[in-house]
Amino acid sequence: MTDDISDRDFAQAALDRLPVSARPRDLERALIAAYDAWTATRPQGRWAALQAGLRHFSDSIWPGVPLWAPVSAFAFALIVGGGLGATLPSIVNDERPVFSLEQPASFSLSSLDVTQEDL
Amino acid sequence: MHDPDAEEVAKAGRGDRDAAARLIARHSAKLFGLAQRMLASRAEAEDVVQEVFLRLWTHAGRWRPGGAKFETWLYRVTLNQCYDRLRRRPTQPLDEAAEVADEAAPPGARLDESQLGQEIARALETLPERQRAAILLCHFKECGNIEAAEIMGLSVEALESLLARGRRALRSRLQHLKGFAGDGQ
Repeated sequence: MTDDISDRDFAQAALDRLPVSARPRDLERALIAAYDAWTATRPQGRWAALQAGLRHFSDSIWPGVPLWAPVSAFAFALIVGGGLGATLPSIVNDERPVFSLEQPASFSLSSLDVTQEDL
Repeated sequence: MHDPDAEEVAKAGRGDRDAAARLIARHSAKLFGLAQRMLASRAEAEDVVQEVFLRLWTHAGRWRPGGAKFETWLYRVTLNQCYDRLRRRPTQPLDEAAEVADEAAPPGARLDESQLGQEIARALETLPERQRAAILLCHFKECGNIEAAEIMGLSVEALESLLARGRRALRSRLQHLKGFAGDGQ
């Protein structure tokens, strides 16, 4: 531990003696100019507002991913859901016996169908 | 936790030039210092700061307060840019590396302040990049271990281990200098 502390003090003293690196005089100006260039080229108007709104909505659902990911997931879920919704009821209906008052009964209430044990 | 930059970032993302200028004034010097010491090149450090701010503007509109602290994100992006540049540098042939090592001051040499500074900078450059980053963050940014670990994407224990190894390596590389760091001469 003692060694570690002295290493720390040694490094501290060494780094304190490093030459100070002055920031380039024009750096801030260049950064502002880059900002101006960015604001000039970024999309503006209704389309940009729509994109920003979609992006914000997408971020609230699935943060940090590109817009196509939640859109694809939603479209996939919609297709699967729609497909199941369209096919499943007909499959289920095919298997279920149909009763209608206008059709002759397909079952009988006569005693032949009832066993002794049931009574 | 209140992030003093969050509001400015949102404004800059909406095109507020004054907010952007305030962010630049607040952070560019420190980021430049870190990049310059990481890369040992002023020109490359300038490029890194430019790239970091450009990335900031493109993400500013989507910045959400409540996540990572803005400054932590900014330093992390800067470090990643530095790592990328260091990895893209061509590796030095062994015979050239030996010549560079010969530039170091001979053992026991007494150096003036500027020579000493250069010697220390050279020793710092020879440290592995992550050790260098850990040392620089803790020393120049004056951030605590928790914040530095967050910036580097490490656990605090891993950062402390990096720091200890980095300091030990720096010391061994500078041990030959006289009149330095309380050696009593």
